[in-house]
Amino acid sequence: MIEHKPLFEAMKQAVSQTLENMAFVETMEHYDQNYELPAEDLVWTSMLIMDPVQGELHLAMSKALLVKLTTAIFALDIDEVTESHLHDSLDELLNTIGGLFMTNLLADNQTYQLGLPEFGEGELPPPEPNSVIWKLMTSDEDPLQVIATGAPLVALKD
Amino acid sequence: MKRIIIADDSATARMFIKRCLQIIGLGDAEIIYAENGKEALAAAKEQCPDILLTDLNMPVMDGETLLKWVKASPKLCELPVIIITSAGNPAKEAQLLELGARQVINKPVSPPIMMNALKDFLED
Repeated sequence: MIEHKPLFEAMKQAVSQTLENMAFVETMEHYDQNYELPAEDLVWTSMLIMDPVQGELHLAMSKALLVKLTTAIFALDIDEVTESHLHDSLDELLNTIGGLFMTNLLADNQTYQLGLPEFGEGELPPPEPNSVIWKLMTSDEDPLQVIATGAPLVALKD
Repeated sequence: MKRIIIADDSATARMFIKRCLQIIGLGDAEIIYAENGKEALAAAKEQCPDILLTDLNMPVMDGETLLKWVKASPKLCELPVIIITSAGNPAKEAQLLELGARQVINKPVSPPIMMNALKDFLED
């Protein structure tokens, strides 16, 4: 049984709402919390949280899942999807997830500022100590991960 | 025919907003795309749009600066500006309404939310 902190729930809800609304895909906690995303064929995007706490979010998944989500978001056939569509949709997913996450986490009278997402491929940057990882999957059992780093951000769970 | 500027650095967001507009009955509107506030401001000055929909967090010129420029311009100050943002909460919304935004919508945007935000505009 996983113990849920507000931080954990805030992110789970943000991912679920974003993917359901934008790509019509349901997400849930991965049944195997020990799984690791393979570095090959991995795509990810990162975004800084600049204010009122400092931290960084990463959203990572296989390129195959990103293609699936992008075809749903843009209502395109697979052969119509370009690299630019893929980069942009992953960035926009994290941008939306990050905003909902901070809204879920902070008080109504607290504004916040997000950075601009940056796309990456291959191995994720090495995790910092105190990182929090959400291991999730879609209803088709395609895994995805969200990682929050930065002591001030992660400390919000306390 | 309505003329609408959509300012967002994300092609995904621009497409999503356009799709919402089509669903709520604005499929025949002329859509002008801008990737940042500076492009949107230039387009607004040149093309006399009926409404401006803008993201907040954009490179070059962000949505809040764009809003301030629009509201400070004698030519554009009556232009309705709707902010569509991932960084919105009640505190930010109050700040943006104070600056002159007509509405603030949080991402992910959906047709019912868009319909509600553009109710007055659709009735005109």
